[in-house]
Amino acid sequence: MPTTATSATTEFVELDGKKIQVTMGGAGPPLVYLHSAAGETDWMPFHAALADHFQVVAPAAPGFALSSGLDEIDSMVDLAWHTIDLLAKLKLNHVALVGFSLGAWLAAQMAILRPGLIRQLVLVNAAGLRLADAPMGELFIDDLDDLRALLFLDPHDPAIELAMPSSLDDPRILLWLRAREATARLGWNPYMHDPKLPDHLHRIQCPTLVLCGRQDKLIPLAHGEYYSSHIPNARLQVLDPCGHMLPFERTNDFVRLVTQFCR
Amino acid sequence: MKFFTFHLMPWDRLPEDFEARYDSAWTWLPNELYDPDHGHTLYNNYLDELILADELGFDGVCVNEHHQSAYGTMPSPNLMGAILARQTKRVKIAVVGNALPLYSPPTRVAEEFAMIDVISGGRLIAGLVVGGGPEYYSFSVNPTNARAMFDEAMELVLRCWSEPGPFEHYGKFWKLKNVNPWPRPIQQPHPPVWIPGAGSQETIELVARKRFAYMGIPYFHLDVFRKNFDAFRNACEANGYTADPEQMGWLLPIYVAQTDEQAWAEYEQHLWYFIKKLLKGLVVFPPGYTSARSMARIKQSLAKFMGSVESRRQLEDGGYVIVGSPATVRDRLQQYITELGVGNLLGLFQLGTLPTHLARKNMTLFAEQVLPALRRELSTEPTELQTA
Repeated sequence: MPTTATSATTEFVELDGKKIQVTMGGAGPPLVYLHSAAGETDWMPFHAALADHFQVVAPAAPGFALSSGLDEIDSMVDLAWHTIDLLAKLKLNHVALVGFSLGAWLAAQMAILRPGLIRQLVLVNAAGLRLADAPMGELFIDDLDDLRALLFLDPHDPAIELAMPSSLDDPRILLWLRAREATARLGWNPYMHDPKLPDHLHRIQCPTLVLCGRQDKLIPLAHGEYYSSHIPNARLQVLDPCGHMLPFERTNDFVRLVTQFCR
Repeated sequence: MKFFTFHLMPWDRLPEDFEARYDSAWTWLPNELYDPDHGHTLYNNYLDELILADELGFDGVCVNEHHQSAYGTMPSPNLMGAILARQTKRVKIAVVGNALPLYSPPTRVAEEFAMIDVISGGRLIAGLVVGGGPEYYSFSVNPTNARAMFDEAMELVLRCWSEPGPFEHYGKFWKLKNVNPWPRPIQQPHPPVWIPGAGSQETIELVARKRFAYMGIPYFHLDVFRKNFDAFRNACEANGYTADPEQMGWLLPIYVAQTDEQAWAEYEQHLWYFIKKLLKGLVVFPPGYTSARSMARIKQSLAKFMGSVESRRQLEDGGYVIVGSPATVRDRLQQYITELGVGNLLGLFQLGTLPTHLARKNMTLFAEQVLPALRRELSTEPTELQTA
């Protein structure tokens, strides 16, 4: 990472009684980054690198980080309308929308509801589907060691320290538990998917890049293949070797591919 | 002071190497390990033990609800309550409780509890519970809605019992156009309500506000119970009244034999089966089931959880169990009941692999040589016989 990485500011936006944390940095065409279940809303190296080319906007969904309003959210469709309203409030239009995992499911749902809002769509190891032959791993386990092994290809990847707390004594644990609650609100049952989503994927019209880690143990590659073959204008790019945490595990490639696609 | 026999109806045939082979006695434990023929024997033994409690002069019997678990093979405590309503004559039947978010619509609970109350001639105690963490994995009910579903369901059940039907219910989780349950309960305005809690301040305040009874969730060090019952009494004061001791219940394993040595010799292996096998996997907190801040507090209590105890000495010192001769059990119970200020003792007289002949001997010795002295010393009246 360049040491002169673009810095960011965090502000809180009032939206229909909710207080929403939004971190922004950089200049250029707008790129909205939708975080995963891990709630990565602090300014990560990949945010900073993307901010060399884009105005990066990283909102925290209700219940994640310091955003309030989880009580208003019962489903991914609720969260998609909330996020559409948030972009309107921020006066953002024709954005590059980059979603990771849970955030990719959200991005796909937004693209279905408001196709005109999105210029390019990037889905990274996207949740949202259930494929009987390629079941997702179990995300709702408490053991942090087991979770690390599920999420990262290399259990000693130095990026793990950035992505998740190391133990129950880690000061980030309260936000982590909040993030897991907010994730469960959306994805406990049906488990991390919407059975209706496949019927709507044909409505996504914008150019779409589907990015996958070949060794993703949480969301198998077949899910990315399904998205890319059912979204009309989509292309699949597989990183190998790479696990679920693609933006952390392969930061340089992630930034390069997103930048090429969205510029 | 009231004395209850509590039954979990545990599975007593987990393999020797269970701890090495399985992560949990809950939710994911393969049900191939359940043998229905042996289950037939167990259910009937366990029911006979509860019927014996009626004959021995206990004030009540307790059953409870757990799913997909060797810890308790009683997914429907209402079925057991219905049998006991017919096969017992005088005891209170405490179903503690029904896990409300698992009943959809929860008017089902109002109906089934009313049936038990009517059949038994008004002997039901209605336990209303959120359900344990593992239940949310077993039923795929969203744990982030657990508290809100419980609140809505509890109000609906109480309304079913106290407000003439038909009426409409439009809540967040259930929309019911015609609520009009038949039958209605005998006890008016409704059967006594017990709510178990593990120390969450929300639950304590709810029970105090409603003037229901608070049952301390078991298997913790006495210090945890002291803290929770004190918090409950304070919450009652804050609501403008002094708690009645019978608004509090203390549940723990009890074993009586002729001498202390004999008691431990007969009991210890069955107790360790319970602690090391059946408790494994009980403490699970699915996301949102407990607020992130409560989680941090619960972490402290967990250090005092029975599942982490390793020696008989720790078990005795922490008051996790009361084991010994009639004199020992009597003295220790009298001391702890007085200290805790509770008006209901809920004894687990069978647990783990304890065979039925020892469970029955335990209950009989308790009823004959412990209970009369405790009733006398704790200056309580014998149970009022309530017949329809």
